[in-house]
Amino acid sequence: MTVNLSDVAIAVLSTTLTLSPFYLFAGMGEIVSEKSGVANMGLEGIMLMSLVTTFIVDYLTGNPWIALFAAIGTAGVIGAVFAFFAIQVRLDQIALGLAIYLFGLGFSLIVFNAAYPTGIFPNYISLPPIYSGWGTVPVIGTILLEQNVLVYLSIALVVITALFLNRTSLGLRVRAVGENPKAADNMGVNVPKVRFLATLFGALMFGVAGSYFAGNFVPGFQTNIIAGRGFIVLAMIYFGNWKPYRVLFAALSFNMVYALQNEYISISGSSVASVSTLFNMLPYVFLLALIPVFGRKARAPKFLLKPYKKG
Amino acid sequence: MHENTQGLRWLRATAYNAFAVGLGILAGLAVVVYAGGNIEVALSSLFLDPIRSSGGIQQLFVLFVMFYTMALGVGLALKAGLWNIGAQGQFLAGTVMVFFVYIYLGFLPWPILYVAMILGAAIGGLLWITVPTILRVKFGANEIVVTILLNVVAINFGFYMLSGPIKSPGTALGFPITTTLPARFQIPNIVASVPITYAVPATVAIGVIFYFLVERTPFRVKANTVGESAETARYAGISIPRVMAITLLTAGALAGLAGATYMMGYRYELDIGSFSTNYGLLAIIVALVGRKHMLGIGIAAFFFAYITFGAESMAVATNVNSVVVFAMEGVMMIGILMGNYLTERKKAA
Repeated sequence: MTVNLSDVAIAVLSTTLTLSPFYLFAGMGEIVSEKSGVANMGLEGIMLMSLVTTFIVDYLTGNPWIALFAAIGTAGVIGAVFAFFAIQVRLDQIALGLAIYLFGLGFSLIVFNAAYPTGIFPNYISLPPIYSGWGTVPVIGTILLEQNVLVYLSIALVVITALFLNRTSLGLRVRAVGENPKAADNMGVNVPKVRFLATLFGALMFGVAGSYFAGNFVPGFQTNIIAGRGFIVLAMIYFGNWKPYRVLFAALSFNMVYALQNEYISISGSSVASVSTLFNMLPYVFLLALIPVFGRKARAPKFLLKPYKKG
Repeated sequence: MHENTQGLRWLRATAYNAFAVGLGILAGLAVVVYAGGNIEVALSSLFLDPIRSSGGIQQLFVLFVMFYTMALGVGLALKAGLWNIGAQGQFLAGTVMVFFVYIYLGFLPWPILYVAMILGAAIGGLLWITVPTILRVKFGANEIVVTILLNVVAINFGFYMLSGPIKSPGTALGFPITTTLPARFQIPNIVASVPITYAVPATVAIGVIFYFLVERTPFRVKANTVGESAETARYAGISIPRVMAITLLTAGALAGLAGATYMMGYRYELDIGSFSTNYGLLAIIVALVGRKHMLGIGIAAFFFAYITFGAESMAVATNVNSVVVFAMEGVMMIGILMGNYLTERKKAA
């Protein structure tokens, strides 16, 4: 069997980019949220609910854009509930996040079953590539030019998040309420309000990620379909030390390892499950191996997970 | 007077928890009604199914053992401020180890192999949490992130083991399942006709031992101090790495042990169905509801086993997908956290 190396390289790079928006939208959302001191561990539950919303609205309207915004809306509602309990009521963020995850895990399938009682899944219309005629451009055609618009937006979001956190006064306030809420409060920053906005922004981004999951990862819907990929974002942020560009690097390298092993399995034509499952572990083991190397210097926002009470 | 206020507080906490559970049940009933199910059928299966048939009693106690064993470990780590989100992965490592030992140490005589399988499962769980423990203690890496990562790895690792090293030689090509454990490697019922195995008293005994080892010794204060403030712990001369390592490794071993009781006391064979169980996650709720107290966890475990199985039968009886249990428990958990918050606030006031 002959393998055309340039074809493989194109497939790997193309997959790497195609998978990225899921991790980048979620990653940037969680960074902003955590920078303000609120870790949202319920992200995967929110994504599941957004994913179901996407399918249903996409089917009803036939318009993937409306579906995307509906998914963001769903995420916003759950995110607001999370933010209220975490910031106003000051419940334990981890426990609360797990509760939201459990809720989403169960409720998403209930909603899906209610919408499609027959279990027959409708056609999903995904967001189109920005311009499909560019596939013929050699090499970069499929890798760079034929991607879904959210791929470009997600990379733009990384730049915007970095600029926002480091160069704007609102970004400074977000970091301040996560590092030293007392001092921020003394300087007249409304701590709960900034935290609420940051957490809500995070949730909205989980909505985009959940919506993007449709059509780009596993087809259809079933219980626990995201299967921990949402939680992986938390590891990427940790590895990336809460820095947007480093999280971009983490996401891209994770995806590339994934794409490489995926490509290897399909080329080797091995139908032996034992081989492919072993290779499926690679991206996660890769991320794990990076933690003692890069995670050593990782420093979480000082007041992450710590509720703030005035006075 | 002091006794009286304590009693009152306990009563209030119980009332809050009951309210939270009621809320979760209401959420479940809403789903049932929406799906056109009969509410009477739903309620009777929710409350009576765990006790009215021998199958129900079996499920109730299997869940009780799972939740109790795993939540003891999760709760112990929580005392030291550590979140073991990876109990599910350690549990899976335990289930795999049962069969690994059974196959590869099969030359051992019966009673020794029997014990080796149980110990092997505990060691499997312990090994699975070794990486997060080292990363946490030596590198300061966040244990939540690492244990979550290892949950995903555990599922893939389990698939790999099932499709090769511990796969039953007799099954159709590629079908990933182990052989069934013969009767002498199963945990027997105490009374032949009642499906309650020796795992139940053994688990309760472990719970009581942990109560005496943890709650009645200075270790409780040490762990709590580490959990509340590293600075105070250092000042008090407590070895933080030691407390962290002990609690995390114990948590892993207990979750692995749960894998042994699950395989040897209930399933008898490992297939991918066991990978999609969610006991590890629910054990975190149990530990929180039991307020990290080694006896409180036992009570919470029984209660959650009852609700979990009841809700599952409710789903089956009314033709609703059994994942409704997760949604209900999510709602309950928020309610219980609210209740804890309100109780603490009253105490502080």
